[in-house]
Amino acid sequence: MTPLLGRTLVLLALLVATTGTVVGFAIGRRPSVEGSAWTRRLAFAFAGLMAAANAVMLYALLTHDFSVSYVAQVGSRSVPTWVSFVSLWSSLEGSILFWGLVLGAYIAAATWANRNSHPEYMPYATAVWLACGAFFSFLLAGPAQPFHTVFPVPPDGPGPNPLLQNHVLMAIHPPFLYSGYVGMTIPFGLACAALFTGHLGHGFIRPLRTWLLVPWVFLTCAIVLGGWWAYEVLGWGGYWAWDPVENASLLPWLTATAAVHSAVLMERKGILKGWTVTLVAASFLLTILGTFMTRSGVFNSVHSFTQSAIGPTILGFLAAALLFSVTLLATRVDTLAPEGRLEGAASRDGMFLLNNLLFVLLTFTVLVGTVFPLVVEALRGVRMSVGRPYFDAMAVPIGAALLFLMGVGPALPWGRATPEQMRRALLPPLAGAALAAAIGFAAGARSPWTVVTLAFGGYTAWVTLSEIGLPLRQRMRDHNEGPLEAFAEANLRRGRRRFGAYVVHSGATLVIVAIAVSSTMGVSKEFTLRTGESAGIGAYTLTFLRTEARDEPHRQSMVALVAVSRGGKDIGTMTPRMNQYERQREPVGTPDVRTFPFEDLYLSILNLDADGATLSLHALVNPMVGWIWGATALMALGGIVALVPRREGSVAFVRAASPAAAVGTVAGRR
Amino acid sequence: MNRKVLGAGLALALPLLVILFANLGRDPHAVESPLIGHPAPPFSLSPVEGGPPVFLASLKGRPVVLNFWATWCIPCIEEHAALASAAERTGNDAQFLGVVYEDEAPQVQRFLEQHGKAYPSLLDGDGKTAIAYGVYGVPETYFIDTQGTIVAKFVGPLDPPTLEAHLALARGQKP
Amino acid sequence: MTRLFPALLLAAATATPGPSSGGRDATDGVRAVVGAPRGGPVTASDLDARTKEVAALLRCPVCQGLSVADSPATMAMKMKAEVREMVAAGYDQDQVLAYFERSYGEFVRLKPPLRGVNWLVWFAPLMGLLVGGGVVAWALRGPKDGAPRTTTSAPLDVDALPEDPALVPYVLKVRELAYGWPAGVRPKAEPS
Repeated sequence: MTPLLGRTLVLLALLVATTGTVVGFAIGRRPSVEGSAWTRRLAFAFAGLMAAANAVMLYALLTHDFSVSYVAQVGSRSVPTWVSFVSLWSSLEGSILFWGLVLGAYIAAATWANRNSHPEYMPYATAVWLACGAFFSFLLAGPAQPFHTVFPVPPDGPGPNPLLQNHVLMAIHPPFLYSGYVGMTIPFGLACAALFTGHLGHGFIRPLRTWLLVPWVFLTCAIVLGGWWAYEVLGWGGYWAWDPVENASLLPWLTATAAVHSAVLMERKGILKGWTVTLVAASFLLTILGTFMTRSGVFNSVHSFTQSAIGPTILGFLAAALLFSVTLLATRVDTLAPEGRLEGAASRDGMFLLNNLLFVLLTFTVLVGTVFPLVVEALRGVRMSVGRPYFDAMAVPIGAALLFLMGVGPALPWGRATPEQMRRALLPPLAGAALAAAIGFAAGARSPWTVVTLAFGGYTAWVTLSEIGLPLRQRMRDHNEGPLEAFAEANLRRGRRRFGAYVVHSGATLVIVAIAVSSTMGVSKEFTLRTGESAGIGAYTLTFLRTEARDEPHRQSMVALVAVSRGGKDIGTMTPRMNQYERQREPVGTPDVRTFPFEDLYLSILNLDADGATLSLHALVNPMVGWIWGATALMALGGIVALVPRREGSVAFVRAASPAAAVGTVAGRR
Repeated sequence: MNRKVLGAGLALALPLLVILFANLGRDPHAVESPLIGHPAPPFSLSPVEGGPPVFLASLKGRPVVLNFWATWCIPCIEEHAALASAAERTGNDAQFLGVVYEDEAPQVQRFLEQHGKAYPSLLDGDGKTAIAYGVYGVPETYFIDTQGTIVAKFVGPLDPPTLEAHLALARGQKP
Repeated sequence: MTRLFPALLLAAATATPGPSSGGRDATDGVRAVVGAPRGGPVTASDLDARTKEVAALLRCPVCQGLSVADSPATMAMKMKAEVREMVAAGYDQDQVLAYFERSYGEFVRLKPPLRGVNWLVWFAPLMGLLVGGGVVAWALRGPKDGAPRTTTSAPLDVDALPEDPALVPYVLKVRELAYGWPAGVRPKAEPS
């Protein structure tokens, strides 16, 4: 009964999405008020049907209804309720169903937000969104059907992959990732609508930017949450391995970040319209490529789903979406005529272009490195690897350059700068660079790239903080306001977007610096200890006390109790563990991480004797890793600040090279 | 129609799609051994039950079936019967050898007592032999001909016909 | 009876050891594959760092994408020990990588060696930089000779106001904020 209900809902969603696609395109060509209303109704209906199908699946999972094929495949009576809940997205079919839910929610939200605006664009946009909805409904109706009827009904199931049960982050990471991935469909639909109508006016840039920034915030969090999950669960002490699936999540983030920046130039100067639309389309296409990489079984990854039956179907969709986008861009991009032009290279405008160049270059490099083994396989029939040494060699210089640019760009005025202005803007932050490099060197940084990154980080931090402080000081001086009042007025009420951007920049600066420090300045040791024995790493002394067995309904664990002292002072007991899951043969280790202000102490069990008296331990001191998580939260916060809608009529603060440029800038915004 | 955009877009999209299509259905975990057709790396390893070490070089003149396995590996247990019966049947004509991969001697001995021991299993405590042969996981079986050259590598559990076909290769017969 | 045969033969085999038996040192098998050590002797303090450096270039065969240096897997530890032994015996990085590549294939090298089609993966980013840099330079190029400059780049009168009256208050506000001119008008006494 339940499987039949689920299948019916999925089929109805497919029907509604297909109809909506056709109706949307038709109404886009011949606009009518009544037709637009019908397009919206179909969009809401699709969202409702997807929500209902997910509710049915969730109900089946929570009530252990093993007559539903997906529940029989991933469910288990022995797991806690939260694991049953997250099973919704823990395996292939469920993850597609969840994709449908998120897509439906996005479509409904974007449709509702624009119900009274942009009538010429919205039918096209809705048509594109629902075309994607139709594809995912089709996957659910056929190749990835989660609602098959199982008969006879099995009494119990195997439970999800133990690695996914091992940490609560697994309940948080996928929803963020899907909200990031799926959300790129919305700006893609809007960009297609702009191309179909041949207009990308000032009024339409705002929804495009908003709906680009929303998935960007989610994707930013998701990438880092994925790294955090790997750090807390996989036990090798790192958070990023340039795994194909990790790269797949990074690729659309890079192009979306580039698009957020080119959209600023587009909004300010009326240029780069076609380019921004291209970046938005690329972000969407890369999410589909990522889906293929995760689910086709073609790439060798720790994160990928094991089945590969839907690989060809997703590849077909990718091919269709790619060719559609290229054709649409080629035929329509010339209709988006620029309204202004670039003035000089040595200006903020020029730095925006350089930013786009570096982001796209990094995207291209990561894409080439990820796909290259497949090229060699096809050409030579030989398996080869492109791994971390390659990606580090490429990404470190590009990342450092982007960090520096994040300082240089905002320091320079819009338009065109004179040599004198450039000196005044670019020289003072060198103090910040020298300071940061000196602190790093004193703390033991010797790797050249780390010192360079620290210097660039100091430079950018100086610029970012003074840019945040500038309007504040201005208000304190001109309006006699106190610092808090001035901050609220200048950064939160008036220049909110600008302030949000600089908060994102602060977070990004910290993330890049923390990555450089943590990947080059850590200490890693391996010990074998018998009960009562001690070993030292960094400032810490580790003493293996004993082993404890712990039983939980879904797993049995062997927990090693390790007493930790720092500089002779006892700071408690850490508990790395080995977990044995029911119905899984090999035990899965869980490391224990203790975070201090500037470093993490990371313990992971390599081996534990059967009698529990001898422990092989992998111990690491990882500097600044915790800063990555905190700084990412800052980036997300900045994104959210920038998303809060602006009051109409308020004036953004503009620093221009000259009053003339200010006039030009403002005039260009008509 | 903007030909530049069309050209650039297709130049990026088509190779990507072609490569992805070409790799559909490929197993990303299968790696062809580069040792096939080359002399088998020499080793001298002690049997689980103790006694003098076994030298590969001294087995020249007979085909060798070198099976890397462990008691914790389920497919290894599946193929054990096939290997044992083939070893008994061929007797003198071929030498079957097991190499224990990441496992402890007591467990292995207990397993062999239960399931029958038709041929010696050797201990590779430091993993040097597994490294020299390029073992990615267990079970993996190498077939070495009478000249000491590796003629085939099989990944995964062997069934009797597959084993027989590979053994024929090692004997120098056409498959 | 049949069961005894292999065991007997094996006993005979062990009694007459082959040529490789005598004086086998830890890296004996290695020498046969990659020749005599090419690197110099390694000091004890250098050994850890060099081992880590080389191990970071090798893929752990039982892991997914992790290097031998990073991976906590047993097999990775054994490979790390082997790397350490080879480095201590004086083999250089290329020799160690060549030794592992011979048995595991090119797949084991995380850093693609510069040969054959692999040049593409190393030079594609450079090509990307050149092409992209060219496009950006083209976008930033000055106007073509004879092409009329657009108004935004033409020198503007600093004190001029836009023709559109709706924009005037914005411009004044901007000047007030950006230059501190009261009400957005240039103060009379301001030195240029």
